[in-house]
Amino acid sequence: MLSPTDLQVLATTLIVAAKALLILPLAIAVAFALSRPRLPGRLAWDGLVHLPVILPPILIGFLLLQLLGRQGVFGGWINLAFTQNGAALATAVMIFPLLVRSVRLSFDAIDPRLLDAAAMLGAGPWDRFFSIALPLAWPGILAGAVTAFAAAMGEFGAVITFAANIPGETQTLPLAIYQVLQQPGGEVEAWRLALLSLSLAFAGLIAAELLQRWARRRV
Amino acid sequence: MLHADIDLRQGAFHLDVALRAPHGVTAIFGPSGSGKSTLLAALAGLRPGGGTISLDGQKLDPRPHRRGIGLVFQDGLLFPHMSVGANLLYAWRRADPSRRHAIEDVAGFFDIATLLDRSVVNLSGGERARVALARALVAAPRLLLLDEPFSALDGQRRRSFIDILGRMHDAFGLSMLIVTHLIDDAAALATHLVGLRDGRVVAEGAFAQTVSSPAFRTLLDARDTGAALSTTALVRRGGGGPAATWVRADHVLLATRKPTAISARNILRGSIGGITTEESESLLVELHTADGVLFARLTQEAVDALKLRVGMPVWALVKAHAL
Repeated sequence: MLSPTDLQVLATTLIVAAKALLILPLAIAVAFALSRPRLPGRLAWDGLVHLPVILPPILIGFLLLQLLGRQGVFGGWINLAFTQNGAALATAVMIFPLLVRSVRLSFDAIDPRLLDAAAMLGAGPWDRFFSIALPLAWPGILAGAVTAFAAAMGEFGAVITFAANIPGETQTLPLAIYQVLQQPGGEVEAWRLALLSLSLAFAGLIAAELLQRWARRRV
Repeated sequence: MLHADIDLRQGAFHLDVALRAPHGVTAIFGPSGSGKSTLLAALAGLRPGGGTISLDGQKLDPRPHRRGIGLVFQDGLLFPHMSVGANLLYAWRRADPSRRHAIEDVAGFFDIATLLDRSVVNLSGGERARVALARALVAAPRLLLLDEPFSALDGQRRRSFIDILGRMHDAFGLSMLIVTHLIDDAAALATHLVGLRDGRVVAEGAFAQTVSSPAFRTLLDARDTGAALSTTALVRRGGGGPAATWVRADHVLLATRKPTAISARNILRGSIGGITTEESESLLVELHTADGVLFARLTQEAVDALKLRVGMPVWALVKAHAL
């Protein structure tokens, strides 16, 4: 079954993905802003948010190194390169567009006149967001978060570039698979890790579906 | 008294309106595309932009949530993630504590006390309309705007809803402004009338005078030509309903002798005040009755056969199902 090393890799993977998901509130805020019809420069913002989808992940890792590495622009204040928080940050940047997209779909599905109705009953902008928009978008946000969590467990390029492949610190499942494949005869170990990775991702997707159904019933 | 001076451009459309609405019920009537919805949104503060609006001499806050006026949307727009009671509570919590009405009182008035725990998703059209009205009323707004409030209702449900609105106006002393493209709805409730076309006010004033003014009558389609008649002058199915009823010229028949042995229950005696030829070659006969003016649309042949002329006494017959 799972060796202590496997368990360590699994733990690192889950912790990194969970930390990356801390980006969710920012994704919700950005998604809500993008779903406002009167947002100035919406197309430009939309493009910026989706950059990580089209850029090579290795480039994201490189850019993070340039910004937050030891020699980076902000490296003097925060140096996250080759740390677990760095791995989480690289992962967060990669899953950010995915989160924004699914959260935004949920906001877009809300009849904007419901927010008008709330305004006419005395609710200010923040009040409308927390009392109407957020609760109505909640099922989609939840499902998007779980899907993003599953995707976060598979991030590779940006993570290995920015946070390297340090066992127990930044070595997540895909990085561990990469490492065993570098060694002769590592295929068996690679298979075990691959199956583990696959079942985690699959469990995540099923969880997303179930959560969404449950939340839909409540709304 | 509401004073609104609105100058708003939206693409090629230009809304340029100066209007006043006294206490009571004001109807804003206009064909589609006349700018009714834009005007309503501007009054509500939902469409930011040009113009000043004051209520009882006090300039309104530009932000909709600080205006203190209520808006009942066409389809109710109840919050789907809340129960009926939570929808009312939402309004109550955010309302001015010195003005707001107790939820129990409002729920009792609208006969929805038994619905408070229900989800809003499974309400009938009539229940939905009453809950939406109750939600707006809980906040005790200084003015209530209603956007085509009866369009989702028909027949008896529409009549009873009009009845509720009328009683609400009396019980809570709430001024209302109703936007509608149905002259029947305007006639049913309004004491003051504003006619709108292409973003301009074409007629404004007390309902009875304005509705019969030539400027206002250009807003009505031929099918809607008619007059408002006090409901007490009419015999109709079911009780309650509006104070005035719009009687269409197409639904009025004329007789030169008092008809007997006839199924129509509404027979009004009057005299011919005028006969005008319409574009469609038909003739519009204006009648003066003890209960007010009525119109009948007749063909040239009928007018000739009956030898109708101004001043002649006639009987007007109105079919009850047309009311």
